Amino acid sequence: MNQDEKLSIIKDILLTDEREFASSIEKKIKILENIVNEKKNLSSKVDPIIDDKLNEFIKEIPKTLGPTITQALKEEIKNSKDAVVEALFPILGKMVKRYVQHEMKLLSEKINNQVNKTFSFKRFFRRAKSKAAGVDESDLMIQEQTNTKIEQVIVIEKGSGIVLAEFSENKMADEDMVAGMLTAIKSFVEDAFTKESQNLQYIEYDLYHIHLQNFSSFYIAVVVSGAYNIIFKDKLEDKILEFTSKQKVDDILHNKTLLTQKLEAFFKNGKV
Amino acid sequence: MAKSKKIVLIGHFGVGKTSLIRRFVQNTFSEDYKVTIGVHISKKTIEIPEGESISLIIWDLEGQDDIKKTRPSYLLGTNGFIYVFDLSRPITFENLANELDFLKENYSNIPLKVVGNKMDLVNKEYLTQYSSIFEPFVDFYVSAKTGSRVETLFSKLAKALT
Repeated sequence: MNQDEKLSIIKDILLTDEREFASSIEKKIKILENIVNEKKNLSSKVDPIIDDKLNEFIKEIPKTLGPTITQALKEEIKNSKDAVVEALFPILGKMVKRYVQHEMKLLSEKINNQVNKTFSFKRFFRRAKSKAAGVDESDLMIQEQTNTKIEQVIVIEKGSGIVLAEFSENKMADEDMVAGMLTAIKSFVEDAFTKESQNLQYIEYDLYHIHLQNFSSFYIAVVVSGAYNIIFKDKLEDKILEFTSKQKVDDILHNKTLLTQKLEAFFKNGKV
Repeated sequence: MAKSKKIVLIGHFGVGKTSLIRRFVQNTFSEDYKVTIGVHISKKTIEIPEGESISLIIWDLEGQDDIKKTRPSYLLGTNGFIYVFDLSRPITFENLANELDFLKENYSNIPLKVVGNKMDLVNKEYLTQYSSIFEPFVDFYVSAKTGSRVETLFSKLAKALT
């Protein structure tokens, strides 16, 4: 046995424990490497910790961030009222409209029930009118109760939108501006649909209804407040036709003073 | 009772049609540019030298880079045209002769004023450089910003309508 072999035997005897320790560490490192490098293994170890932390965070949000977020939202809403209204309007508008429709239906049913229980000559005539016009009797009653009124009548030259005559008891808007805008809207709509001899006949603006009746070289715009239904529309159309034929409007179109006087005399009471 | 006349302003985008009207009707000017969509209508009643008054119903049409694209129904019954171009942007007057030919061919009897706007933004050298293009046609050099010659433009047109 030479010197080296003796030294090796002594090393084996003295370093056995250290070698075993090093071997166990190597094994542990390999296991750790496996955990870290394999996503699935790492996930099984780390996920529960993240979940715990997330749950804790979610639980803490109302306490920590809640007041800050609420304050920020309050400020934002306060500073952008118009934007909020604009965003909510379509939803609220539909809700209100649905509610009003529902209430009107209930009112109509109530009126029908009431009407069926009573008899009068007025009701007899109303019923006859309802059958003749094909309109629900309750709608006629509602119309009797509502205050439909002609607010403004404007005779407008086709194409140019120039006002030929105007009448209103309470000046609602500048007739020249209204006539111009109505003409522009009419031109646009009638161009856009590109169908010959079709005309824009009605515009709704807030609480007002704008009835448009076309003639060859001019049209008449009537601003109406209150209920505008098919019965009123028919009556208004008849009244306008009566005005144009009886007053020979075609002949006095370019005499603004005379046409205005005739318009006033004809539509003065605001009723159809 | 004042007579009403329909005035239509036409021209490219951003030449200052709306600003000219605002200067004339409200005597104000804003640097904010808001593009006109469709048509906007304004009104101003002015006295003309004969002692009469005339209501100008002013149609401010959205800008078009080609006058032929203007909706013809907006031009129906027009009593007077104002064609506006931007003196500081050659692209708005490079085709001026053809644009005016179109107006003269289709609306031959209607008074027309050709206006170079934004006079405040250009100098004499610049005007000299481009004058051969617009000089033969232009009626007024104006500035909606300073108000220079705006009142005169509308007054002269109103007078031509009577």
